[in-house]
Amino acid sequence: MNAKSLIQLLEYVDPVLCLITIGALFRAKQVRAFFSLFLLLSTKVIADSVALLIFFLLARGVDKHVAYPIYFYTYWTAYALEAILSILVIYSIFKLAMEPLKGLQSLGLLVFRWAAAISIAVAIGMAFGPHMTSTKFIINAANQLQRTQSILTLCLLLFVCFAIRPMGLSHRSRIFGVSLGLGILSTVELVSSAWLTNMTTMYMTFSVVRGIAISMAFGIWAAYFFIPEPQRRMIVLPTTSPFLKWNQVSLALGHDPGYVVVGSSSPDLFAPAELEIMRRAAEKTVPVAALN
Amino acid sequence: MKTAIRTFAVALALTGAVASAHTRTTDVKPARATSIVPIPVCPPDDPNACGM
Repeated sequence: MNAKSLIQLLEYVDPVLCLITIGALFRAKQVRAFFSLFLLLSTKVIADSVALLIFFLLARGVDKHVAYPIYFYTYWTAYALEAILSILVIYSIFKLAMEPLKGLQSLGLLVFRWAAAISIAVAIGMAFGPHMTSTKFIINAANQLQRTQSILTLCLLLFVCFAIRPMGLSHRSRIFGVSLGLGILSTVELVSSAWLTNMTTMYMTFSVVRGIAISMAFGIWAAYFFIPEPQRRMIVLPTTSPFLKWNQVSLALGHDPGYVVVGSSSPDLFAPAELEIMRRAAEKTVPVAALN
Repeated sequence: MKTAIRTFAVALALTGAVASAHTRTTDVKPARATSIVPIPVCPPDDPNACGM
C-alpha cells in the first residue's frame, strides 16, 4: 500500500472516528459538559463529508471549475470555525478542570479571556501584509488563529498534566483525555505548518504520519468517552499549599469592598446615630489602651 | 505510567514549540489540523482549479 492509498483510506477513517466519538459523547451523556467539543467534531464531520462528496462528484464527471470554489470556501470556512471552536474547547476544559477551586477558576478564566482576545487581535493584525487580497487575508488570519490556538492548547495540556492531582483528577479522567487529544492535534498542526513549506506533493510519508496522528487523537477521544470515568477524588490540600492560598486570594477578589475614611473628616458629615456608635466605641477602647 | 504520560505531554509541547519557531510566517501553507483532505491553496477562480 503506497502513501496515496493510505491517505485516501484515512480520509474516510477520520470522519468515521469523529462520528464514533459523537456517539460515545451521547452514550456517556456528556454532550452538555463537552458541548464545544461536540460542535468541533460536528463541524469536522460536515466539512469532511462535503469534501468527500465533491471528490466523488468530480470522479463522476462534474466540472472541476464548479467544484473547486465550493471546495475552497468549505475548507476555509471549516478551518476558521475549527480554530474558534478549539479555543472554546480549551476554555471549557479549563473551566471543568478548575471546578473545585472556584477562586482560581474565575481568575484563570479572566486571564484566559484576555489572552484569547489579544491573540485573536494579533492574529488578525499579523494577517495584513503587502499585496494582500481578501483570499490571502482570510487564509493568513485563519492560519495565525490556528497557530495561536495550538500554542494555547499545548499550554493547557502541560497545566492539566502537571496540576492533575491537586484538581482531584486522574489520567483516566475525560478532561485529561480531551486535553491529550487536543495536544496531539495542535502539535500536528504546528509541525505541518513548518513542514508543508518544503512539501512538493500532497502524498508524502509525512502526510501519512500526520493522518495517523490525527486518527490517533480521535481514537483517544472515542476511547475516553466509551470507558467509564473514575469519580473525581476529594481534594485534600495541605494548609501551606499555594493552590489553597491563591484560591482564597482569588475568592476575595471581585467582592464588594468595604470603605475607610482617609484623612481628616468633619463631625458634621456623620449622622447622630453614627456619632453615638463612635463615642461608645471610643469609651470601650480608652480603658483597654489605659491598661496597656 | 505517570512519568511516561508527563514525558509524552512535555515532548508534544517541545515539538510544538520547536516547530512554531521554525515556521516562517510568510511561507506558511496552512493545513486543517483535524483533517487530512487536500489543502486548497490556489484562489477560488484559479483557471486550473488548483490541479483538482
